[in-house]
Amino acid sequence: MNTVTITETTLIVEPRGLDKLWSFTSKLEIPLGHVRGATVDPGANRESKGIRAPGLGLPTKSAGTFYRDGQRSFWNVSNSDRTIVVELRNERFSRLVLTVADPRQLVDEINTRTTSS
Amino acid sequence: MGRTPSYDRDAVLHACAELFRTTGYEGTSLDDIVRATGLHRGSIYSAFGSKRGLFLAVLVRQPAIAPGSEEPLDLLLVALLELAPRDPEVRALCAAALDDGDAGQAASATLLGSRLLARAGLSPRTSATTPTTREDA
Repeated sequence: MNTVTITETTLIVEPRGLDKLWSFTSKLEIPLGHVRGATVDPGANRESKGIRAPGLGLPTKSAGTFYRDGQRSFWNVSNSDRTIVVELRNERFSRLVLTVADPRQLVDEINTRTTSS
Repeated sequence: MGRTPSYDRDAVLHACAELFRTTGYEGTSLDDIVRATGLHRGSIYSAFGSKRGLFLAVLVRQPAIAPGSEEPLDLLLVALLELAPRDPEVRALCAAALDDGDAGQAASATLLGSRLLARAGLSPRTSATTPTTREDA
């Protein structure tokens, strides 16, 4: 699970609790201008994530950095339907795949904040 | 960046237009889009940013609404019903599409209403000004 907050200028992703450890990540800060959009996407959980380095991969949980098709993405998902995908530009990660508490509301907020400014 | 898309953008947008107009915006999952386009999930995100980005790409390429133009009318209905209330950019696009029609917003509204009924299998043949009995139904 992740806590995602949106400030004036930045999208902040914080893996909760032990997820910090599995994902080797305590916090990601992405300028809103680098966010291309967000999507509610429970099906992303079932996709092949690619090669993991470093991080944790279990059938019910994936956390950390994954490489696939030359793209690097950050995953912190549990076996849940509450998964969102955030597409980025000019960042270390092309994409964030995250389990969050309230996917619909968060996706709307991210999309509104990153397109109307 | 100068990356050449290795897919047929028109074909992808056409397939997605068909999906969105028949199953709606929320009703269309990324899995549906992956299946309908044959693209990888990652490629869809790289190309359009999000499902919303894809829907916008579909919406902006629609011709002006006109009598009988079912695809643009259906997509406009989906946009108005599902996205416009909470998405200012889609709302603005809808407003432009409504004004864009031949006879302005009122005529556009009539077109949308008629299409909504026709889509539901109800023929809007009775004149709105004539009170009718329900016996012919």
